Formats: sequence, C-alpha cells, structure tokens
Amino acid sequence: MLRFIFTRLSHMLIALFVITVIVFSLSHLTGSPIDALLPDDATQQQIDSLTEHLGLDRPYYVQYLTFLQNAAVGDFGDSTKWKGNTAAGVVLERLPATLKLGGLAVLISVAVAIPLGVLSAIWRGSIFDRMAGIIALLGQSFPAFWLGIILMWIFAVTLGWFPTSGYGGLSYMILPAIAMAWFQIAALTRLTRSAMLEVLDTEYVKLARVKGVSERAVIWKHAFRNAAIVPVTYFGVLAGSLLTGSVVVETVFAWPGTGLLAIDAIRGRDFPVVQSVVMFFAVFYLLANFLVDVLYAVVDPRIRFS
Amino acid sequence: MFASKLVRVAAISAVLASAAALMPAQAQTIEMVMSPPAVETNRYWNTPGDFALGPSMQGLVGHDPVTGAYDNSGLAESWSHNDDFTEWTFKLKPEAEFHFGWGPVTAADVVHSLALHTGPDTTLNGISQLEGAVAEAIDEHTVKFTLPAPQVDFLFVHGGRGSLVIYSKAQFDKEGLEGYDAKPAGTANLQYVERNIGQGLTFEKVEGHWSGQDAQFDRLELKFVAEPATTLAQLLSKEADIVILPRELQGDALDAGFEAIPSTNASNQTTMLFNGTFLLPGYDGLDKTLPWLDIRIREAINRSIDRQAVIDVLYDGRAEILPVFGMDPRHEGYVPELAERFEAAYGYDLEKARALMAEAGYPENFSNPVIPILSSTLAGNPEFPAMAELMQVFLDEAGFQTEIVEMDWASLGGLRSAREAKMFHPMRNLPVKPSAVGIRNYYSATGGPRNNYEDEVIEGLMEKYMVSIDLEERNELAGGIFTRVFEQYAVAPLASISAEVIVNPETVREWTFPGTTSVGVSHFGSIVPAN
Repeated sequence: MLRFIFTRLSHMLIALFVITVIVFSLSHLTGSPIDALLPDDATQQQIDSLTEHLGLDRPYYVQYLTFLQNAAVGDFGDSTKWKGNTAAGVVLERLPATLKLGGLAVLISVAVAIPLGVLSAIWRGSIFDRMAGIIALLGQSFPAFWLGIILMWIFAVTLGWFPTSGYGGLSYMILPAIAMAWFQIAALTRLTRSAMLEVLDTEYVKLARVKGVSERAVIWKHAFRNAAIVPVTYFGVLAGSLLTGSVVVETVFAWPGTGLLAIDAIRGRDFPVVQSVVMFFAVFYLLANFLVDVLYAVVDPRIRFS
Repeated sequence: MFASKLVRVAAISAVLASAAALMPAQAQTIEMVMSPPAVETNRYWNTPGDFALGPSMQGLVGHDPVTGAYDNSGLAESWSHNDDFTEWTFKLKPEAEFHFGWGPVTAADVVHSLALHTGPDTTLNGISQLEGAVAEAIDEHTVKFTLPAPQVDFLFVHGGRGSLVIYSKAQFDKEGLEGYDAKPAGTANLQYVERNIGQGLTFEKVEGHWSGQDAQFDRLELKFVAEPATTLAQLLSKEADIVILPRELQGDALDAGFEAIPSTNASNQTTMLFNGTFLLPGYDGLDKTLPWLDIRIREAINRSIDRQAVIDVLYDGRAEILPVFGMDPRHEGYVPELAERFEAAYGYDLEKARALMAEAGYPENFSNPVIPILSSTLAGNPEFPAMAELMQVFLDEAGFQTEIVEMDWASLGGLRSAREAKMFHPMRNLPVKPSAVGIRNYYSATGGPRNNYEDEVIEGLMEKYMVSIDLEERNELAGGIFTRVFEQYAVAPLASISAEVIVNPETVREWTFPGTTSVGVSHFGSIVPAN
C-alpha cells in the first residue's frame, strides 16, 4: 500500500511541475499586464518604468525560475490588481467562500443524485426512471450561467424567496449551489444508476433474494455498497470540477470566491494571482484525485496490486 | 369596564410609543451597484483613474455639480498662476481636516501626495501632466507647483478626473502604505469603513463635517458586480438603490418604474479610430496597405454610418451626434461651425460613399481592402461590441470588405503601444478631457506611442499650441487642429453621451453630478434619499 501511495504521490509531483510550466507559459502568452494596468494614454516612459518595476523586462526563463522558487514556499508575489495584497493572500481570503459554496453544491449533488440513481435503477423503465433520465439530460444540457440567471430571475426577482446575489448566509448560497450542482447531479445520477443496474444483475444479489433477505437490505447493503465504488471514483472529479466550475456561477451570482477572483485576475492580467489561483485549483484537483485513488485502493485491493 | 380597558390600551400604547422613541432611528444605507474597477486598491496612483474611493477622498479642486466648472468645493479655497502658467499656487482651506483624527490638511500633505502619485509604480491616466512638476510648501496652507512647461489646463489634474488625490502625510508617517491599505483617511463628507476584496466598499457619513455639508444618509455601500444581468436583478428586486447599467438593459428598469438620472453634462465621447494613420513624412512604420490612408476611404466610411441609428440602438436615443472627437464646448478650441457643417460633410449618404469608393478605386486599387473592425469590451463602455457589429453592417452595406477582430482591450493597448493596432476600433474620451489632452492623446505624435493619427499640419499647430500661453491664440490653435481633424476625416466621431445611473425612486430622490470623473459619477455626498 505504501508503494502505491508513493507512486501516486510522485505522479502528482510530476503533474504539478508540468502544470507550473503550462500556467506560466499560458499566462505570459496572453500578453503583458502592462497593457491592462496602464491607461489608454500611457506614455513610453510610463510603460518602461512599470515594466522595470514589475520585473517584466527580465528574460522569461529568469522570471519562470523566480516564480518556481517562490511558488515552492507559497509565495506567488504581489497582486497587481489588488495592490497591497500578496497573490496567495488574495486567494486564501477568497477560498472560504468557494469552499462553502462548493461544499453545499457537493452535498446537494450527493443527496439528490445517489437516491435518484439508486431508485431509477430499482424502478428501471418506470415513470420515475424516465423522469430521472430527463433531469439528467437537462442537467447536462443547461449551461451553468444560463441556469443561474434563470434561477435568479424566478426565485429572487419574481418570487423574492432568495437574495439575487452577493455574499452571505445560507439563503445567498442556495441558488448558486443549485446552479453548480445541477450538472453534477445529472452525471452522478447516471453513473449510480448504471452501476446499480450492473450490480443488481449479479449472482450474489440474486442469491440474497433467493435466501429471503429483505429487499431493503439487498439494495442498500449488498447492491449499493458494491455499486458505490463507481460514484466514489467520480467523487474526485466532482469535487475538483465543482471548485473549478465555480468560475461561471460565482461571476453570475457575484459570489466572491476564487472562481470570480480567477476571472477578475485574468481580465486584469494579474499574473501573480492567475498563477496562484490556477496552482491552487491544480493542487486541489490533484489532491482530490489522489485521495480517491487511495480510497479506491482501500475499497478494492485489486487496484493496488495491479 | 370599558373605561378600564381603554385606560389599559392607552397605557400599553404609551409604553410602546416611548419604547419606539428610545430605539435608535434606523440607519439609512444607500446601496449602489457598479462594475468592478480595473484595479481594487486604496492607492489611487495604482489605478488607471477609475477610483472607487471617490466618496471619501478629494483633490484640491472641485466641480460645480450642475455646470461641471471647476470650483473651490475641493480642498483649495483659491488658486492663482503666474503669467506663463508654469507656477500654480493653491491656498488650502484651513478648516479642511482628514478623517479619523489625522489632523488638518496642510501643504505637506500635498507635497507628499505628489511624490506618491508620480512614483515608478504609478499607472494613472493623465499622469504626464504631473511629469517634472515640483510641489513646494510655501506655508502650512499654501502650496506652489512649478511646472517644466506651461500648463493652462493644470486644474484638470486636481479636479474630478484628476491625477492627484490628497492623502494624509501624518497617517503615512505613522502607518506607512499599510495604513492606507487598511483605512485611508480622506477628507470628504463620507469616510472609509471597509473594503471587501471583490465585493465592494462601505463608507459612512462624517458627522459635523468640516465643510458644513453633511451627507443626508448614514452609509453608502458600493457593490461590485461584473454581470449586467445580475446588476439589473439587484435593482428589480430592490436590493440596490442605485445601479450603473448598460443602456441596452436600462429599458427593462425604466419599464419597471425605476428612474434614470443623467449627469448634468456630457461625460463621454465615443468614436471609431482609423488607427495607424501615421502620415508624418519620414515615418518608417507606416503600413501603406491600410485602405483608410486614402482620405476618400475615410470619408466614405464616415458617410456609411447612420449615426442617428447608432445612437438609437446603442444609447437608446439619449445621446448627441459628435462632430469632432475630443472637441467640446466647455474646452478651448470649440468651433461651432464644425457642428453646423457636420451633416453636409459627414451625413449618412450611401450614394456619396459609394461614389468616393469608386473614385478611389476601391477595392481594386488596394492590396489589402479589408477593413478590420475591432470588437472588444471595456468597463464603462459595454456597447463597444455592439458598436463593432453596427459598423460592420453599415460598411458592408456601403460595399466595404470587412472583418470583425475580437480582442480584449488590454491586447489592443499592447498593439497601440507597439503602433501596430492597424484597425478601425472604438475609443472613448471619458470624461471629456481638456482639448490639449485630447489632441495629444489621439492626433499628435506628442501622445505617442498610443496615438492613432499624425499629420504634418496638426504637428505644426500642436508645436505652437503646447507652448502658447496666450489664451486667445491657444483657442485658435486648438480650433485649427479640430478643423484639420474634421476636414481630414481623421476619425469617425459618433456620440456625445452623459453618464447615467438608474435609481429606485422609493429610496433615492435626487443626485446631481456633472459627469467629470472616469466612472461618470461623483458628488456622492449629495445623494438625496427619498425620505
């Protein structure tokens, strides 16, 4: 098991290194922050002065090595858009908002998708199953920003049940969390349903039924426990994509998390913050998948021996 | 029995009434929603000028809320200049004080602020007006600016769109820049409470403000919302009292009973630039394949544009046709005849446009006949992408070959810096700047590298204009430049527009602002609540 964990960790570090190269290259390929920071009537002297001040006149490899060296200790430099703040500081300040929203979205996804997937597998072909199929289809078809605006218009503007947008308690989180969760509900429902259908058709489930085990125990104890491996595997993707997928929803709902931060930083070409937020997303995604890999190996020993 | 009941009810009512009287009056908060600024910071010199601390900070010079004229509602009670406009002396108001007990505003604060604003990290628009300026404290309340060249428009630096906001030196000496980041002391009748990064800012009323004019509400919350549909939703749900909305969404708000309050003066001019028209002799970088180097093509493009349709579509009919981009009746060099001649010279006339194109041999005689039209977004001008599409429709109709080039505004800035922005692209003049600044920015090599048009005649006039201290002569020279711009079809001027906010009339009764800042709005302390 230790060897398995070590192998996975080393893969993670290699991936992280590649990501640093990609992040640095892409952020610089989009242009210079000077163009975003300086006004339309900037003089050549202003351009030169700020370029030197920000260290952008140094060769790219020097800038990259400095970035890598500093990033290793969590220092991504100072934000150019949020002056007076470090890039990492800005990200950390906005992180709790994203985690809260993402956490609620994960909770909604799991709470809705798992029972829905299980029940539609049990009642395969029924109206309930077809309804679940429609929900899944719509969920995967609706763009999150569109769904967000529609939810806002119906439940906040027209009915007045929730605030339209902004940062606050649970009432502020419900609409954006639903907008974020909807797609994942669709994906997770389909995964759970297909996994359950496969397991429900196995010999040991049939045997349990023949032995007179109650239907509830057959479904939740024998079938679901085994079928759960597939949704658990997906959980890493789910957690990661809910975090990174917050970019659009946070923008629509003016939710001040890392997603909105990423958009603002990209618009303002705030390289330190862009790099910081993308690295954070990457680390989170890698960690989530690492944990899932380990969990998977614990649940299914065949994985770690393969 | 009935009497005793009545007595009990009366007694309970009295108790409730007295309890209500003892409760503090509900604080009135005005919530305003706007686009996030380009840079979120308390350090003005690190912004391009779209400063969100406008409600609490001031410059030396103010503006009349109705006319927009410079007045002494800022920190200086009076000012004077020497004969050649190279020395400007400001007398500070002795009663002006910084918030949070940081003491009176003195000449030392002005000297300190100038040093901050002209440092190497400055990104301010128009900072070139302060290049080489030296501020000297004559006495505690008198400060003199010595300039390397005459500046007739030096008050612009200190007004609403200015490049110099006054910070407390005492606060800096004790707390450093971190003090400004945490709680900057301003001088206006609203003071800083907090900044929530990515969300907005909160200000509160200064009780017994030194100016004698207290705000009529308790708190002002500025909220940053990037998505216009969300901003509209906040207004319609009455969460926000004031919003800045793109014009295409304003109709929904007005239909729902909300009201528009425009600035009292035009705050913005929009145009399409023929970038890359660098016609100075000897300039090596000129791309001779640009079709609009031919004046007939520039005129034809101008005549292909139905400006009234542009105004109806983009500005909901609430704008004026602009005769010359950069020219304004409030500033020197205004030539009323150009406005009168506009229809004859620039009016929508497809036949004339096609005749000009034929005369120029378009497209056969052009190695690169395609007109690249830039579609880009810029905070404060959400209409630019629609403007690009409209231009394409008009130009296609006339028979031009066009293509839309999508690009973010910052990338355009990079191309302009490299003098490679060879496009027909939108531009704004926000707020409407003094003529010298506008001419420099758009029509003269002195505004390089980001100018878009140069020719020998304008350069000759500009040379004299920059050094002239005779107001009459300056007026003539600026007028001459604008006439040249007009006659050369140097740009395609479009509209002169006011800044507009949409308010909930149930909570906001009145707000008078002159449209003299980069965000269009100002004079926050004069917002009058409905109650």
